[in-house]
Amino acid sequence: MGRRLRAVYDWFDERTAIRSLLRKGLYEAVPVRGAWFYTLGSATLVLILLQLITGIFLTLLFVPSVTEAWQSLNYLKEHDAFGSIVRGIHLWSAYILLFVIGLHMVRTFFSGSYKRPRELIWVTGVGIFVLVLGMAISGAFLPWDQAAYWTAVVVTNIPAYTPFIGSFIRALWRGADTVGPITLSRTFGIHVWLLPAIRFPLIGAHLALLRKHGEFGSYVNYRGAYRSREGVDVPPAPAQRPIEPPYPAAPSDELWAAPLQTEDFYPHQTFKDGVISAALVVVVFVLAVVIGAPLEAIADPATTNYTPVPEWFFLPLDELLVLVPQQLIPLVLVLPTGGVLLLLALPFIDRGPERNPFERPAVMVPGAFAVLFVVILTLLGSGRLFNL
Amino acid sequence: MAHRDPRRLSRRQFGVLGTQVSGAVVAVLLGIPIVGFLLSPLFRQQQAVWRKVGDISGVPDGEPTKFEVAFPQDAWTTAENNLAVYVVKNGDNTKVFSNVCTHMQCPVRWDGSLHQFLCPCHGGLYDINGANVGGPPPKPLPQYVNRIEGTTLFVENRFTEEI
Amino acid sequence: MSTLLALIAPALQGLAAQLPAQGPQGHNIVGAQIAIGSLFSLHILIAGLVSGAAELGPAIEFLGYVRQRRSYDRLAHGLGRFITYYFSVSSTIAILLITVLLVGFWGHFWTTIVTIGWWPLFIEAWTFVLQVSLAYLWYYTWEPLRAFKGVHMAIGGLLAIASFLQVYMIDVIASYMLTPSNPQNPVRLALNPTSYPLTVHRTVGNLAYIGFAFGGFCAIRYLRAKTAEDKRFYDWAGSFGLLWGVSMTLLQPVVGYSYAKEIQLHSYGSWYKMMFGSLSPVFLWQITLLGIMFLTATLYFARRLRTDQAKGSGILKLLSVGMVLTTLLAAQPYALGFSYETVAAAGLNRPFWEGGLINPLGSMIPWKVLALMFYTLIAIAAVVWYLRGLPGVVWGHARRGEQRILMLMTILTMLMMVTMGFIRENGRGPYLISGEMTIQGQQDVQTTQPTPTPQPTP
Repeated sequence: MGRRLRAVYDWFDERTAIRSLLRKGLYEAVPVRGAWFYTLGSATLVLILLQLITGIFLTLLFVPSVTEAWQSLNYLKEHDAFGSIVRGIHLWSAYILLFVIGLHMVRTFFSGSYKRPRELIWVTGVGIFVLVLGMAISGAFLPWDQAAYWTAVVVTNIPAYTPFIGSFIRALWRGADTVGPITLSRTFGIHVWLLPAIRFPLIGAHLALLRKHGEFGSYVNYRGAYRSREGVDVPPAPAQRPIEPPYPAAPSDELWAAPLQTEDFYPHQTFKDGVISAALVVVVFVLAVVIGAPLEAIADPATTNYTPVPEWFFLPLDELLVLVPQQLIPLVLVLPTGGVLLLLALPFIDRGPERNPFERPAVMVPGAFAVLFVVILTLLGSGRLFNL
Repeated sequence: MAHRDPRRLSRRQFGVLGTQVSGAVVAVLLGIPIVGFLLSPLFRQQQAVWRKVGDISGVPDGEPTKFEVAFPQDAWTTAENNLAVYVVKNGDNTKVFSNVCTHMQCPVRWDGSLHQFLCPCHGGLYDINGANVGGPPPKPLPQYVNRIEGTTLFVENRFTEEI
Repeated sequence: MSTLLALIAPALQGLAAQLPAQGPQGHNIVGAQIAIGSLFSLHILIAGLVSGAAELGPAIEFLGYVRQRRSYDRLAHGLGRFITYYFSVSSTIAILLITVLLVGFWGHFWTTIVTIGWWPLFIEAWTFVLQVSLAYLWYYTWEPLRAFKGVHMAIGGLLAIASFLQVYMIDVIASYMLTPSNPQNPVRLALNPTSYPLTVHRTVGNLAYIGFAFGGFCAIRYLRAKTAEDKRFYDWAGSFGLLWGVSMTLLQPVVGYSYAKEIQLHSYGSWYKMMFGSLSPVFLWQITLLGIMFLTATLYFARRLRTDQAKGSGILKLLSVGMVLTTLLAAQPYALGFSYETVAAAGLNRPFWEGGLINPLGSMIPWKVLALMFYTLIAIAAVVWYLRGLPGVVWGHARRGEQRILMLMTILTMLMMVTMGFIRENGRGPYLISGEMTIQGQQDVQTTQPTPTPQPTP
C-alpha cells in the first residue's frame, strides 16, 4: 500500500516538482526565540481566510439591493440557523481580526522588525491593515439596517471635509448626493471585489518577502539582546544548520550576527501557529453561536428616535468628532491620515541599525503616546455612549 | 552592403515599441470607460421633484412638529424614501427644516426638555430658528426649498443651501 | 500649608457670602468647608503620592529587570520605602476626615452616600487591606526574594492593581456626586458619565505627580550627596522622574477636555460656573499653570543637555520658546473682568475694541483648544529630543540650576493638585450631589429637631 502511494507521489513530483517546493516551504529555518509572538501573523492570515470563506458563502444568499438586503438577511436570521452562524462567524472574526492585526503591528513595531532590508514587508503590511479597515467599514454598510444605513451616512460624510474636493469624494462614494441604492451597490462591489483584489496580491508580496528575508528581523534574535546578568555579551552559538543570506542586515552592522537558535517551520512553528489560530477560531465560533450577528430594524431615513452608535473600532474617531470644535473639524481628517502616512514612512524615518526598543526612544515614545491616545479615546467614547 | 541606416529601427527596438504601444492601447480603451463610469455620479443631476407634505394648519406656534415626506430614491429603485421634515411656525413666519445634521448628517430630533434640536451622535445643538448653538455642527440646520399653498406645504428635494 | 489656606480661605469666604444667610449656622458652613477643604487637600497631596508610588514602583522594578539596570531597582526600592513611611500618615488624615468631619458636620450627606455607594466603599476598604499588606510585603521581601525576582515583581504587580482599584472605587463616589446616575443599578453607578474621565485623569495624574515629586526629592538628595555613585544615581533619578512626569502630563489635555465635555452634557450648571462663572478665573489660572509646568520641564531638558554639551540642547531651547508662546495664548482671559458672567451682566460682552470687555483671543474654541494641542505636541517633541540627547549625558555632572528646576516642578505640581481640587469641589456648589442634595440642605437637617427614634409598635 505504502509503495503504491509513494509511486503516485513520485508521479506528481516528476510533473510538478512538488517535493522540493514542500521541502523549501515546510522546512524553512525559523527562530526559536519569540516564536509565540510570531503566531500573531499567521493568526491574522487565518482570520482573513476565514472572512474570505464565510464571505463567499454569504454571497450565496445576500442581495445588495436597498429593498432586499435587509429582507435577505432577516430571512437568514429567521429561517436558517446554520446560515446565521456563518454570518455570526463573519462578523466576530472581523472584530477579532482587527484586534489581532493591531497586536501584530504593535509587536512588529516593538521588535524593530521593519528595519533594513525588511522595509517593504512593513509597507505592504500597513497597506493590508488599511485595506482590512476598509473591508470592515464597507462591510458594515451592507445589511442596510438602521445601524448600517446611518454608519454609511456618517462614514461617507467624513471625507466631505477635505478641502476643495471633499464633496466630490463624497459623491463618488455615495454614487449621488445622498446615500441610496447606488451606494449599496458600489459598496458591495468594493467590499467583495475591489478591496480583496488589491489586498490579496499585497498579502502575497508580504509573505513572499518574509520568506525571502527570513523571520529574523526582531531584536531578540541578535547578539546584542543576549546580555548576561553581568551585562556581558554572550557570544553566539554556532549556527545549527546552514542558513542562507541575506539575513541579517548589511554586514556593516557590527552588532549583528547570524541568528542564534533556529528550528524547522514544520512542525514546530506550525504547531504554535495552529494552537493560537485554533483557539481564536474557537472563540469566534462560540461568539457566533452565543451572540451571533445582530440585525436591527430596517433602515429608516426619517427616524427621529434612533441614536447612531459607531462600531467599536471607530470609537476613537467618534470621540474625536465629539471633542473637536467646529472650527477645527479638518483635524479629524488630518490625524488619521497623518497617522497612516507616518506608519508608512516609519522604516524610512527610523533608519538606524539599533533594534532594541529601549534604545530607540525617538520612535517608541511617540508610538506609545499614539497607542495610549487611541486607548484613552476608546475608553472615554465608550463611557460617553453608555451614558447617552 | 552591410552598412545599416541609423534611422531604421532595429528588430529589438521595434519589439519594445510594439509592446508599449499595444499596452497603451489596451490601457486607454479599458481606462476611459471605467474612469468615466467611476466619475459619472459627479455629472449626474439629481432630478428635482416637489412632494406634498400635508396640512400644516394644526402646527402650534413655537413647537417644531415632525412630518414625513416621501422622495424618490436615486437610480432605478422604484420604492421611495421617507425623510423627516420639521415645521416651525413663529406667527406668520414658517420654517421648514430637514433633520440632517450639518456635522456628520446624523438624524436630528427636537428635544422638548432642552427646547433645542439635538443631534445624538456628537451632541450638536440647534435653537428653534435652526442656528447652530452648541457642539460641533458648523452650519445651521438645513431648510428645504418649499412653498405653501393655502395651508398645504410642498417641499422640493433640495436644500436652500448646500451642506 | 498655611500659605495655601491663606489663598483658599478668602475665596471660600467669597463663595460663602453668595450662599443665602440661614441664621446662626451660616458661619459653621464656612468653617466646616475650610476644615474639609484643607484636610482633603492635605490628604490628596500625600495619598496621590502613595497611589502613584504603588503603581509606578512595580513598573520601574519590572523595567529594571528587563533592562538589567541596578539603578531602576534602587529607585523602585526607594519608592517602596516611601510607601511604608507615608501610608499611615495619609490614611490617618483620611480617617480623621471621615469620622470627625464628614460624620460630624455632614452626617446626612455621608449616610446618603454610604447607602447609595456601599459596595464601592466596601471594595475600596478591601483594596486598602491589600495595599497595606502588599506594600509592606513588597518592601521587606526585596533582598530575601532577590533570587526569585519573578515572585517579587508579581507582588509588586498586585500592589499596583490594588492601588488602581482603590482610586477607581473612590472616583465612582466622587464622580457620582458631580453627575449622579441611577444608583439602583450598580453598573450605571460605576459607569456614571464622569466616572471614566475622572478615573483616567486621576490615574494619569497620580503617575505624573509621583514622578515630579521624586524628581524634586532626588534634586535635594543630589545636592547633599557625598559619594560619586550617589551623585550619579540622584542625577539620573531626578531626570527620570521629570521625564516620567511630563510624559504622563501630556496625556492630560485630551482627558481633561473630554472630562469637561461630559460635565457640560450632564451637569451644565457646574460646567457654566467653571467656564464662564465665578470659577472661571481659577480655571484660567489652571491652564496657565499647566503651560508653566511644561515650560519648566522643557527648560530642565534644555539645561541638562547643555551641561554635558549633548546634542539637542538648541532644539529644546526653540521648543521652550514655542512653549512660552503657547502659554501666553492659553493665558489670554476671555472676559477682561472677574468673569464672563459679571461682564455679561454689565452688558459689556462685546470685543474690547467695540467698547466691551471681551478678548476674542481668549475664547476656548478655538484658541485654547489649539493651545492645549500645542502643549501636547511640543511636550512630545521635547521628550523625544531629550531622550535622543541622553546618550551624550554623563550622570553626576548636573549643575545646581537643574536641581532647582526639579524642586520648582514639585511645588508647581502640588499647586496644580490643590487648584484642581478647589475647582472640582466648588464647581459643584451649591450642591453636594448635583441636582439632589445641597450644602444648605445638608446643614438644614442639622438645625431641625432630631428625628424621633421609631417606637416599637405595641
